[in-house]
Amino acid sequence: MKAPIALALAFILYPFVFSNAFYLDIGVALLLAAISASAWNIVGGYAGQVSVGHCMFFGAGAYLPLLVYHHWQLPPVVGVPLGIIVSLVLAVIVGMPTFRLTGHYFSMATIAVAELIRLVIGTWDFAGAAIGLQGPAVGRGWWDLTFRGELPYYFIFLAVLIVLLLVISTIERTRFGYYLRAIKAGERAARSLGVPVRRTKLYALMLSAAFTSIAGSLYSIKTGFIDPESGFGILVSVQMVIIAALGGAGTLYGPLVGALILIPLQTATNTWFGGGGTGLTYILYGGIIVLIARFEPGGLHEMWHRIAPKFGKRHAA
Amino acid sequence: MAKRGVNRRAVLAGATAAATSLATGARLARAADPVKVGVLFPLTGNAAAAGQASKAAVELAAEIVNNAHPELANIPLAKDAGLPGLGGAKLELTFIDHQGNPSVAQQQALRLISQDKMHLLFGAYQSSCTFTATPIAERYGIPFVVGDSAALNITGRGFKWVFRVTPIATDYASTYMRFFDDMKKAGKKIGSIAVVNENTDYGTSVAEAVEAAAKQNNLPVAIRIPYSASTTDVSAQVLQLKEKNPDVVIFISYTADSILYIKTMKNLDYLPPMVLGDDSGFSDPSFVPAIADIGQGLMNRSAWDIGKPGTTTAKINDMYKAKTGRDLDDTSGRNMQAALVMAEAINRAGSTDPAKLQAAFKATDLKPEQLMMGYRGVKFDETGQNILASTYLIQLKAKQYELVWPESAAQTRLEWPMKGWK
Amino acid sequence: MLLLQVIVGGLLLGAIYALFSSGLTLIWGMMNFINFAHGEFVMLGMYVALMIVVWLGGGPAVFGIASAFALFVLGVAIYLSLIRHVTRGPMLAQILSTFGLALLLRYTAFWIFSANVVSLPQTSLGGTLNIFGILVPAAQLVAGVTATVITIALHLFLTGTTLGSQLLAVAEDRNAAMLMGIRPDRMQALAWGLAAAGAGIAGALMAISYPWSPSVGETFGLTAFVVVTLGGFGSVPGAMYAGLIIGLIQALSAFYLGPIYKDIVVYALFAALLWFRPQGLLGKA
Repeated sequence: MKAPIALALAFILYPFVFSNAFYLDIGVALLLAAISASAWNIVGGYAGQVSVGHCMFFGAGAYLPLLVYHHWQLPPVVGVPLGIIVSLVLAVIVGMPTFRLTGHYFSMATIAVAELIRLVIGTWDFAGAAIGLQGPAVGRGWWDLTFRGELPYYFIFLAVLIVLLLVISTIERTRFGYYLRAIKAGERAARSLGVPVRRTKLYALMLSAAFTSIAGSLYSIKTGFIDPESGFGILVSVQMVIIAALGGAGTLYGPLVGALILIPLQTATNTWFGGGGTGLTYILYGGIIVLIARFEPGGLHEMWHRIAPKFGKRHAA
Repeated sequence: MAKRGVNRRAVLAGATAAATSLATGARLARAADPVKVGVLFPLTGNAAAAGQASKAAVELAAEIVNNAHPELANIPLAKDAGLPGLGGAKLELTFIDHQGNPSVAQQQALRLISQDKMHLLFGAYQSSCTFTATPIAERYGIPFVVGDSAALNITGRGFKWVFRVTPIATDYASTYMRFFDDMKKAGKKIGSIAVVNENTDYGTSVAEAVEAAAKQNNLPVAIRIPYSASTTDVSAQVLQLKEKNPDVVIFISYTADSILYIKTMKNLDYLPPMVLGDDSGFSDPSFVPAIADIGQGLMNRSAWDIGKPGTTTAKINDMYKAKTGRDLDDTSGRNMQAALVMAEAINRAGSTDPAKLQAAFKATDLKPEQLMMGYRGVKFDETGQNILASTYLIQLKAKQYELVWPESAAQTRLEWPMKGWK
Repeated sequence: MLLLQVIVGGLLLGAIYALFSSGLTLIWGMMNFINFAHGEFVMLGMYVALMIVVWLGGGPAVFGIASAFALFVLGVAIYLSLIRHVTRGPMLAQILSTFGLALLLRYTAFWIFSANVVSLPQTSLGGTLNIFGILVPAAQLVAGVTATVITIALHLFLTGTTLGSQLLAVAEDRNAAMLMGIRPDRMQALAWGLAAAGAGIAGALMAISYPWSPSVGETFGLTAFVVVTLGGFGSVPGAMYAGLIIGLIQALSAFYLGPIYKDIVVYALFAALLWFRPQGLLGKA
């Protein structure tokens, strides 16, 4: 238990060490990426059902707070539970038929449904169509959660991440967690062991959808803006997959590790090379992803587990 | 936490005040500290071509301000090197790629202000990114100059630090209506129009403004066709137009799609009396070479006109061409003009103090002859929108556009109907 | 008449969808592998065509073959240097590798060719044929027919030749194929070469009438996914029918409902299909 406490402490201390607004904002982006990738991890990592359409939940969570603000001048935070409800409904609609299928069918189905939603939102005036929706430019009160500085967001996001990781680590130790691992290892075997395969997968997707939706809400409330591309774009989904896979899918801290590496990397390459406009940012980004997939297919978490014992032995000797 | 937030703000305000007095003091000692401007553009992603071209144009604007260019004497600040109002200080630009991603735009705006201590921000092309970056400037009290973003409500949100130099969708729409009125007076038949728009923020904003203006002018819109710019086939749209047979088709399109439209119209043998492009794709340097032999006489909106050799605009175009190998297009031109307007305001402010900069922007009053673009002038209203922005209409003749409307500025006679490939 | 015109246009475009999707379905069915970089192969095919036209001045036949050849080499090279190693890893590593590859290819093209939109100079195929009142652009007709011929040829190659059946044998049962003395590695390299070459030709054919920039691959990639899932993973004839059907649906819905609805209709039908016939049109359950 020492490592998690040290990690939590590091996160709590970070804003006091790097109090510059920009570094704080990178911290916020990192936490958000870790939340959404951890949420994806429940179904994509633990249950092994690779969704490439999780932006549908992220987008639902992102749109509802700004919808309730835009149409009824309600505080955006009112939209958070509504976003969760919409995401749960979506999860059932997508999960019921596609969980009869295995492997790539599920991935393709999630991509297709997410694209469908993105296209529909882009033509729907009620949801701001292609132009998108804005949040309150200046908060009317603390309940609007429109803060002038990044610090409040940092701690809200951190709290959500800690809750999510606690939920996942609890699941790991329950029967439900055992079911998930069994399904990942092989569905046929799991079924013969009496695991309710479809129901377990559906519950995992619903839990994952709810937390992804919260991540979306945090994003739109903090950014104060949402449009179809930033809510339902395929890159939103892919980012979750990459971060989880990079760190180690199906492990508690994998997505966090992935975010710790990828977000600073993205920001740094864009800050250093982006202004040149040669696309070097993406060449590096793509190249690093390829190299990791080629040489560390299990993610960095697995690499750590391979390397760490060697250090341990050396210390012992 | 709330208490901490308040303290932080107080500290921040104090720090700003201290920095201001320091800056004033420093200015007296070391007169030529550069004025730092952070420029946000999409340099990668789907809008990269426009972002890259605009980047080069804004760089050229800074070059003109920073070095002596007596040959461009009518442009403010071109004649001498640097900003005389700040003891010859130079503009120092830092370019940022926001990738067309609103949250990256927001984060980088924060970086430019809080870490790099920029005096002004400039950008950001896509409305989505301007939406998220401007509140940061507003929060820190730093002027944000919008070179070209289409959405109407970028200004008018109660922001006091946002200044938009370019004309906006409603200006374009009313220009079209005045043009149609002129044509009707000249005896041309304009019984109905069609509006074909790409369906992101740009196309939607302009198309809605045109539809509204047409309704006000009792001009029937035979059909409005929104479409996605990434489409690989537009024959269905062209067939729809063929069926409705409007007198003018207005295209609000990006580059690849506008080329595809003209080619498809030729392939399906549909030639309306007039095609009117709404800038953007029609102004892209790739557009004319690709369709010149089949799009004769099509019209385009542009506030930019290269003009005759020897004119200021032609000289600017030569400089741009030497730098990039392409002609300056309208989108980049409007960004460049905005950068020049910004430089003029900074010079008048005589300081990089935000409040003085803000006051200088508000007092901006430039005349048409001081501009490279065809605006009637530059003057900001209380929302920060330039109320004298306007535009020309140009027509494709042989291998280039010629200015044909308004008549007072026209270089050659407008031809109606268009010849196309015939 | 207008209806026929719409149908012809849709089918001609669908034929090209079929061609670039058949390669994707081949490696998907053979290796159970999703390639997110497939759309980028189409994009690269377009740029190869451009380079040939600008530097050597060849016609469609020349740059079509050049694109196919260049992409075949690239496909094999990518298989040998990257794909071969990640197929043994978890599915996520596979997705990661081709997604990274897509970014790498797209932005390398961006770096070399810039973000500007380019189009091929007007070729000899500039005209339009009038067939009983239906206007068919020559370029699209040639492209559609060529695409169909190549797709059928690919199918015949797979089912009618020794090499093709060895390839299918690996797809069917890798271990059994090895016992028969077939080297799966070689067959899979061949499949990647063929898949990329198909995408390359499709790109060259598209380039004749369609202007593009480096980001064009994304659109093609998503279309190919839909076509492959609809047709059934691994089925070349399935991809062919599905490509034609999707081209047709797009054209009809664009004309009757409006262009913004054409992709909505495609994805909605696709989602509905997943409810009722998840194995695709010609796929095995």
